[in-house]
Amino acid sequence: MRRTTAVSAIAVAATLLTAGCGVGSKASTKDADRTVATTAALSGSITFQTWSLKNDKFTPYFTKLIADFKAAHPGTDVNWIDQPGDGYPTKVTSQVATGSLPDVINLPPDIAHAVAKTGNLLDLRKNVPTLDTDWVKSGLNAYSYQDIDKAGSNFGFPWYLGTDVSYWNKALMAKDGLDATKPPKTFDELVAQAKTMHDNSGGKDYLMSRAPGLSDIANTGTKLLSDDGTKFAFNTDPAAAMLDKYTQAYKAGYLPSNVLDNAYEGNSALFSKQQVAWTTGGGNLITSLKQDNPSLAENVLPSPALDTAPLYVQGLSVASRSKNLPLALAFAEFVTNNENQVAFIKLAPGFLPGSAASADDPEYSKSDGTPQGDASVIAYKDLTTAVNFTPPIWTDAMNTVLNQEIAKAMTGKESAKQALDNTVNQANALLSQ
Amino acid sequence: MRSHRFYTPWLLMLPALIWLALFSVWPAVNTITLSFTNVHQLTGGHFIGLKNYWLLWHDPHIRDAVVNTIIFMVVCVPLLTVLPLLLALLVQRQIPGIAFFRTAFYFPVIASAVTVALIWKWLLDDRGLINNLAQSLGFLHKTIPFLTDRWLLLLSAVALTVWKGLGYYMVLYMSALGSVRRDLHEAAAVDGAGSVRRFWSVTVPGVRGTMILISVLIAVNAMRVFTELYILGGRTGGVGGQDVSIVMLVQQAASGSDGRLGYASAISVFLFFLTAIPLLFLTRLNKHAQEES
Repeated sequence: MRRTTAVSAIAVAATLLTAGCGVGSKASTKDADRTVATTAALSGSITFQTWSLKNDKFTPYFTKLIADFKAAHPGTDVNWIDQPGDGYPTKVTSQVATGSLPDVINLPPDIAHAVAKTGNLLDLRKNVPTLDTDWVKSGLNAYSYQDIDKAGSNFGFPWYLGTDVSYWNKALMAKDGLDATKPPKTFDELVAQAKTMHDNSGGKDYLMSRAPGLSDIANTGTKLLSDDGTKFAFNTDPAAAMLDKYTQAYKAGYLPSNVLDNAYEGNSALFSKQQVAWTTGGGNLITSLKQDNPSLAENVLPSPALDTAPLYVQGLSVASRSKNLPLALAFAEFVTNNENQVAFIKLAPGFLPGSAASADDPEYSKSDGTPQGDASVIAYKDLTTAVNFTPPIWTDAMNTVLNQEIAKAMTGKESAKQALDNTVNQANALLSQ
Repeated sequence: MRSHRFYTPWLLMLPALIWLALFSVWPAVNTITLSFTNVHQLTGGHFIGLKNYWLLWHDPHIRDAVVNTIIFMVVCVPLLTVLPLLLALLVQRQIPGIAFFRTAFYFPVIASAVTVALIWKWLLDDRGLINNLAQSLGFLHKTIPFLTDRWLLLLSAVALTVWKGLGYYMVLYMSALGSVRRDLHEAAAVDGAGSVRRFWSVTVPGVRGTMILISVLIAVNAMRVFTELYILGGRTGGVGGQDVSIVMLVQQAASGSDGRLGYASAISVFLFFLTAIPLLFLTRLNKHAQEES
């Protein structure tokens, strides 16, 4: 009898554990569909979270921004918190899991996608009639997710947009018989110039210094997803041909041998050390170099990114379970309105506001004649055609698989096509788990 | 003599029991439970039976992970069981300046993981100290691919582990050697036993208990290898992911906002049972040795 009771107790406990083991948020997807009454007077307080923006450069801006908002809406309060750069996804994940997501939160599209799937972000399409007219389309697209079953839903106000610019070390290139004023414009030209640099320097200098990624695959004209957006399908012949070219360049020694291992510091770090002559970076890279490496900064020339430039978006989202949705929505709109975005971008040259009104602002298309000014203009012009290559359903685990398979192909352990087939198969398997 | 109330011992043990229940028993039970679900980091999940174990069986990386983990354990256990004993014998001698060497051998134990990572990457990189030195001295024409070759990276991780662990186990042996009776050594010496014979017939039996304990500790730690391979191979587990360990698979599955906690739990449960095998073997070995003696 005692034994039966004990077994029953264990069975009940196991059932309860199984039933209650959910770790995820308890928000319902209906929370995202809430509509916010915008006519009532605003009152109360909200929390506003940014990502690595509380510093000497940006703190005065945010302090004034919040003061202006409070002055326009007496009786309201905004508690500004800032999270450090490292481990932001983990921090947001724990905030969602514990139901403590801030009312207004700075999220890039991939993290916003994960949070939106839990129903914790407000659908802005339902609450902001001017969404399509007041914010840029490319930015809005980054916060609309095909796999979340709400046609046209949107989960973030585009806040600031960035892209990659190519930067060339003209002294290093000149030493090896290349002209930085005539940089490569396509991948094939890049490989050709990398060969020249390799041959002329006896294999000591490099032009190329990174393994390919998802954006390189997309730049071959390959669609990453199937037509219905539910599966990956980038194992195409053009993508395999591109990977083959990288493999041949790696074997020929045109890239540093450690680009595939853990000693690789990244092409930006190698560029700073003047070990490679080409890197990509944001529109304000030269300004950063002037502080960290002034002698190099004088030797850098910018040019447009090879092929189609990538689009990087940061946005502001509103927590659907906010206890003060009217105030949260009003503050998010206030922060991302044209006037405040333009003021914000003045502190970060090389980026562009996510407000539609700024798109035709001639201010951004004028260079002051310096390489930094040229880089800002290049970034501005490229942003009109830049594409956010990373599908929202692409995860860290899938990226690890891609890097592993690309490394196998480049070291000759499997063919390029086999590597892409394996990646697509494993990524699709991960989608269904 | 006054008798205690029956619950007094329980009261004394209560803080430890609560700690054990909260931080050992509950997480273990929860891990087993989660392994039968498809719970994700953010989106929750539901009971899916044995599907995670089926996925684990078909995981393209599990074979490499198991092979790497077992090889790592099989190489580390003898090295870290024997070398620290020899080192302890060396530094227990009372000779001038020996304290410096004791400290030097212990230093890697307290070095931070970040420092260790930097030092070893500087050493083993294609442009690192070892390759540069060997090439400049004319010993090598091509670099040794310590960080890109599967087996060299695994052996490098073993070397790192042994270097970092020697000092710790040396201290354990120094304590055990203190309890080996000196008169036995003297009697053996009088009977004509040389230093090697005395080592096998007096020292080793005297520290056998400690050796078994150390072997068990090393085996368990080796089965959970993560940091050393992560330091040298990065988050992908070496070039092409061929140097992943089982714990790295757990980390890869559980990390990120899309982390698959159910699947990661299934790998953890699998690792638990895999770790039990060497433990049972070492325990049996100890029992056998005790019966013989």
